[in-house]
Amino acid sequence: MKRTQTARNKKRMGVLFSLCLLLALMGCSGANGSNEPISNNGLSQQSAAPSAAADAASEEIVLAAPRDLAPGPQDAYYTSTILYVWEPLIAASEDGKPAPKLAESWEMSADGKEWTFMLRKGVTFHDGAPFNADAALANFARYKQVSPKSSPFYTLDINHSYPSLQEVVKVDESTIKLVFENPQPTLLYSMINFSSPMYSPNNFDDNGDFNGLPQGTGPFKLVQHEKDQYSLLEAYDGYYGEKAKAQKIRVRVIPDPDTRLAALKSGEILGVMDLGAIPPALAEELLKDDRFAVSTAKSTISHYLHPNGAKAPFNDLKMRQALSLIIDREQLVKELFLGYPTATANILNSTSPFYKDIPAVHDSEKAIALSHEVLGDNRQAVTLIVPTYGLDRYPYKAQAELLQAVLQQLQLDVTIQILDGAAYKEAQAQGNFDLAMAIQGLPNGDPYSILNNYMASEGSSNKSYTLGYSNARVDELLNQVKTTLNMDDRAAIYNELQDIAAEELPTIPLFNDASLIAFSKEITGYGALVYGTTLPQLERVQ
Amino acid sequence: MAYFIRRLAAAVPVLIGITFIAFALSVASPGDPAVELLSMNGFSQPTEEQIALKREEMGLNDPLLVQYGHWLSKAVQGDLGTSYMTKESVSGELLRRLPATLSLSLLAVLFAILLGVPCGMLMAIRRNRLFDHIGRALALILVSIPGFWLAIMLIALWSEKLQLLPTSGYGTWKHLLMPAAVLASGTGAILMRLTRAALLEELNKDYMLTARAKGLRESFIVLRHALRNACIPLLTVIGSYFGAIVGGSVIVEVIFAVPGIGRFAMDGIFRRDYPVIQGYVVFTGLIYVLFNLATDLCYGLAHPQIRLGGKLR
Repeated sequence: MKRTQTARNKKRMGVLFSLCLLLALMGCSGANGSNEPISNNGLSQQSAAPSAAADAASEEIVLAAPRDLAPGPQDAYYTSTILYVWEPLIAASEDGKPAPKLAESWEMSADGKEWTFMLRKGVTFHDGAPFNADAALANFARYKQVSPKSSPFYTLDINHSYPSLQEVVKVDESTIKLVFENPQPTLLYSMINFSSPMYSPNNFDDNGDFNGLPQGTGPFKLVQHEKDQYSLLEAYDGYYGEKAKAQKIRVRVIPDPDTRLAALKSGEILGVMDLGAIPPALAEELLKDDRFAVSTAKSTISHYLHPNGAKAPFNDLKMRQALSLIIDREQLVKELFLGYPTATANILNSTSPFYKDIPAVHDSEKAIALSHEVLGDNRQAVTLIVPTYGLDRYPYKAQAELLQAVLQQLQLDVTIQILDGAAYKEAQAQGNFDLAMAIQGLPNGDPYSILNNYMASEGSSNKSYTLGYSNARVDELLNQVKTTLNMDDRAAIYNELQDIAAEELPTIPLFNDASLIAFSKEITGYGALVYGTTLPQLERVQ
Repeated sequence: MAYFIRRLAAAVPVLIGITFIAFALSVASPGDPAVELLSMNGFSQPTEEQIALKREEMGLNDPLLVQYGHWLSKAVQGDLGTSYMTKESVSGELLRRLPATLSLSLLAVLFAILLGVPCGMLMAIRRNRLFDHIGRALALILVSIPGFWLAIMLIALWSEKLQLLPTSGYGTWKHLLMPAAVLASGTGAILMRLTRAALLEELNKDYMLTARAKGLRESFIVLRHALRNACIPLLTVIGSYFGAIVGGSVIVEVIFAVPGIGRFAMDGIFRRDYPVIQGYVVFTGLIYVLFNLATDLCYGLAHPQIRLGGKLR
């Protein structure tokens, strides 16, 4: 009797155990059947994949990014522009100026209130629909319907990019006209990339979201997307321009920089892309292995040290100047960022066509004298807040410690506070800080919005970062620029504003970041751009 | 079955309580979901009017209890709301990501058992001999190693050097081996030490002497009598650690790029995405309850006396 009981119990335990095992493996077999290639060198191709799939996989070029570059149908764009799936009416040239893309040429009326765009002919969307005036109008209707629509890239907001737009008119099959209430001399600058994306008119649902994969006009089609795992791109045969060289590119999501590096070294991926693709220190380590190369370009990201200008000691201009003079930006860039970025004292990012070169001055003696004038013989305790997202992408912890050491000379005793993004923003808005390490991207070529946000007395960044900056002359210049149609006159105003910013320091500019990518020498044609990479030129070395 | 349902029903008020605490804590923490949403690209700076408008639209100006009530009334109907940031259904996202986290956690528990129980047994049988010393040192090392470091070391060996396993990703059983091993290391070591201690305690009891006197084989005594009696504390640890593994898989999911619920929750927390945080809490809470239930059922299987309502010695 006892024996049978035991046998039954054993059997039950066995069943339970097998059930656990089954459950444990459930996820593997049921995982969307996506058979990702494990390695490109064929050493460890999955044995389970059918041979046809394995062949297809070996043709693929696998890259990795720190985040999902295709947030999906609810996103304003579905994919980032750096996947080359959709194209804008206006793109940016290498020097940051507006360049033709789906709009081939344009004309501004004398009063600046009407803009006519001649659209490129013979262009089709990935779903076969023609790109023409009707398609463009459908896209403008969508902008209007969904604005402002958030995205991890840039917010899509027609009121911001096309202020006072009254109507969009179809002139003929391939010409449209935008009519504004007020003159818009810098319209082209604000239309660049994320402000003028074009999709097939059949691609939207009633809410203005995407009803399936994005149907753009770009050299790549998005053929498969597994959220937070990968995007699979395929060259678009019907592309009007130079076709993509690689037939298939898979962009995997690997959030951890060390894992991305390991994946490169193991041959699992052949390159990386997107912001923070590879931290400088890891790039340096990778270059010790001659199988790899890196490529850099200017970046739209600037790094700053924001002072709290609403309270002592940084409400005193002398103290802000002392701060700027004591920091050896060249040393900072060289030692912590391995020389990839460029030191600057200009508030404006160097990718703007209106950028003025203002070299950074390092003068410890003068800095110490200035702080002594303000503080006398007293020492002052200050808090430096650091956002956690900065720690993931940049050597921000080391940078904070370096500042802590340097600022001692100014009689400032720095306490470093690391805060998560939301807490950091709140501390800034409420002024619960003295110094904040910060980054800023340049949304488009026209510096107006950046200068206005930071320098106008009522500027949104000025307020929400508690910079406490106000200057009547600056407000006047910013008002003046709104009605200045001539580009040279605008440039003169922007120059004056840049000079004032360097003198009065609403924020302390530190350096312009570099866009840095790393890749295996098994691929060629791959390089960094100001925003993104030369993905369509990428191909395997024959 | 009635017992099962009773236990589940008893868990409901606890789960509601937990979600309320989670909600209250997220609201109390610094940061505003409206600001996060409007500045999610990290570059744009919303104006005060835009923030006020968005707060109104998101219902963030309602009193706390009203906001929570809205959520609760939908949640009991199985609708966990939509994420502020991605506008996707929270329950849909959780269900989509669940297989990844669950398969990872179950494999981790399996690894922990396969490492902990046999090693612990051998250590108890060979007490104070070489195997025992090595085992104890190994357990100490495994418990002390930080998970992220172990992860980097495993990747360096298995992916970079030997090129046998993928560094990261999800899709095949190979993708799960390293993350599961990292998750299992600490629990496995604890199980090792616990199995050893529990078994030693049993082996020193009087009934073992009787069994030996009857001339039964030592291996039979250990497996049939001692291990069975030592099972209860082991099951308790395994059951409660499963919940901890599900909740603690965040870092491992990031390092190995596993698209699980841990990563989803982490993004939700950083962006103050309340529906995501609440959904995650209620979901993991439910998993905890289910696995505690499963543990209780296992007690019955392992020890008939419990099944019959008796007490342990």
